[in-house]
Amino acid sequence: MLKPKLIFEKYYSELLHSIHDRDVSLGLSRSISTNRQNRALVMQRFPDTAELANEVKRIREESIDHLDELIQVAQARLQENGARVYYSDSANNALRIIGEIIGSGKVVVSGKTLVGEEVGLRKHLEGLGNEFWETDVAQFIQQLREEKPMHYVFPALHVTREEVAKLLTNLLGREIPSDILVEVRTIREFLRDKYFKADIGISGCNVLAADTGSIVLIENEGNIRMSTNVPPVHIALVGIEKIVPTLQDAFKVAQVTWRYAGFTIPLYLSIVSGPSGTADIENTLIQGSSGPVELHVIFLDNGRRVLAKDPILREALYCIKCGTCLFECPIFQMAAGYFGGHAYFGGVGSILTAYMGGGLKEAAPIAYTCLRCGLCTEVCPLSIDTSKLIAELRHRIVDTARS
Amino acid sequence: MSDKLYTPPVLQIISENTSKRGNPLGLVSKDCTAWSKGLQIPNKGKTILYTGCEYQMTSQIQSLLEILKKAKFGDAALSTLKGLQLLAGRLGVDLMKTYTRVVGEDSKSYNRILRKAALTLRRLGVDFSYLDGELYSGALLYEYGLFEQFRKQAERVVSQLKEAGVSKIIALTPHSAEIFQQVYPQFIDNFDFEVSPYVCTVAEALRKSGKELSLPKPLILTLHDPCHLARSLKVTEEPREVLQTIEHLELREVVSNRESTICCGAPCEIIYPELSEIVASKRVEELSATGAEAAVTLCPFCHSNLSKAVNLFGKALTIIDFIEIVYQAWGEEDVEA
Repeated sequence: MLKPKLIFEKYYSELLHSIHDRDVSLGLSRSISTNRQNRALVMQRFPDTAELANEVKRIREESIDHLDELIQVAQARLQENGARVYYSDSANNALRIIGEIIGSGKVVVSGKTLVGEEVGLRKHLEGLGNEFWETDVAQFIQQLREEKPMHYVFPALHVTREEVAKLLTNLLGREIPSDILVEVRTIREFLRDKYFKADIGISGCNVLAADTGSIVLIENEGNIRMSTNVPPVHIALVGIEKIVPTLQDAFKVAQVTWRYAGFTIPLYLSIVSGPSGTADIENTLIQGSSGPVELHVIFLDNGRRVLAKDPILREALYCIKCGTCLFECPIFQMAAGYFGGHAYFGGVGSILTAYMGGGLKEAAPIAYTCLRCGLCTEVCPLSIDTSKLIAELRHRIVDTARS
Repeated sequence: MSDKLYTPPVLQIISENTSKRGNPLGLVSKDCTAWSKGLQIPNKGKTILYTGCEYQMTSQIQSLLEILKKAKFGDAALSTLKGLQLLAGRLGVDLMKTYTRVVGEDSKSYNRILRKAALTLRRLGVDFSYLDGELYSGALLYEYGLFEQFRKQAERVVSQLKEAGVSKIIALTPHSAEIFQQVYPQFIDNFDFEVSPYVCTVAEALRKSGKELSLPKPLILTLHDPCHLARSLKVTEEPREVLQTIEHLELREVVSNRESTICCGAPCEIIYPELSEIVASKRVEELSATGAEAAVTLCPFCHSNLSKAVNLFGKALTIIDFIEIVYQAWGEEDVEA
């Protein structure tokens, strides 16, 4: 573990380094303009989006208010649906639980999960002797590069096709041309084989409906469907702040998430409420039909309940990770994910980093990078008041440093 | 964890200065009020012009920066005032000389801006006074999370305002307007002063006066909306209203304007100086792309940071304070006493 001063120095030197990295700035400028165009199109086609966002703000506020209650309901419903439910207060505890479910020598495929990044899942499972594959194309690339994600929705936005060709050539031991179509097809072939060999499929959760125990998953690639449907065991990692009261609420949150991320509609939307089952023979319910035989849902606290009770900083938990703020942030526009912690980015990300495992030590250099310019609040569907949160977090940092 | 937590070294300097001198950058009262000499502004009254010492502080920040940039990031010696002096010696920087040079050059120009601000109010027939020994609002203390010191400073400011019988504050800078309007009420019970950002007072008085403003020769300008003015205080139209009434002035909007304006980089200037310059250069690029000869701004920190970026990156753009344009358009007179 680095000393706090070294964390500061390392952070700042990586931040400056990424600003001067041409691939980062090229990737960013492409992503930023595409995202802006897409968002404009979405808002034009669905003019009710801002109103819907207001409603989602209310839903998120209420959900954080009633967090403990919602956790109880969600766990009970999932159990009724045949899932096995776990509650873990810390990242280490979550890793231990998942480690016990999986064991070693397995093939694991995983859809994108921010909670997985938060707890360091890939490294842990590989360390236990499992073969682990990220299946989201961007995360797959990131896995090959052994680096942290750069954005919630577009984790590999800074990687060029030439770089991808090099990575794939290395991986497969045969020449892959720097042609995006060929690259995507190559990754497809590689991963399809893994899905069918996999013992375990892992997913995150965009939002969870307590009243039905339903995990909502948003995606375009089909990798989440494959990861959560093909292997016999599905493990879902759920940050407890993702729970909302009803399925209707969950749909609204999901809608606002994809619209602000710049999608009119995601190509796939999955709702998973339990392991597969059938009662087609003599009306006797058997768990495990064509889909997974087991569904394990791991609810992760890791500082969230403390944050939820914080009168000021709790607002950071409203974040739905659409990533819009990041594309508009003057610092993120140059440094991408280097303006952030190991899993969460930007101003709001510094609060999440502080409370969800990174501590004030990791969060301090990020918190002091934020300009408090308020542009993120302007574009945030939930109008999260980052400037206020950052001043408060700095106050906690100063207080802790002096005590 | 607590004993090992590290904070940017400049926080300690700001904290010590505030404790010892009541100003985060060590400015003493006469540094702050020098500009008003000879203007015979009453020092008591219901309505005050509040400068917040911010224009005065910008020069001080530049002298501090010269040291910060030469020091290795996070140099331990930086964390105290005494250490800063020692470090300056080690780096071959004469702190006092740097200070007097930078402050000497800059304070003249900033003092002129402050005089013009007051004279414009006078020309507009606005009744106002200026508190002798005006105290710093503490905005920077709040910004950097030094809340306990901020609270004490705010209490001192409020008792000064009350003693002077103030009921309305014309806040010259966006930071002080914001801190009074939005932050003081969170720290001080019954904070019930009326706060008006300077540009709003000017716009309103100008509207009433019917005075026609004109520049001596044509000038193409763009406007850099300060973040805190445009987004926190939601003041975007008043500066435009004033600028558009000025004859011979063409206003060209920059792509990111009003509530979508982009930061000048000043907020992280004394924490991450290089990063601040890069943010500023991006904004200068955008402002330059309008083809304007000059960019107007309404915040001393934006003014200082954007001007620095213009010099560093060799852009043909002048950064002008809103106060100067209005003053010039009214008819230039000598502002020296």
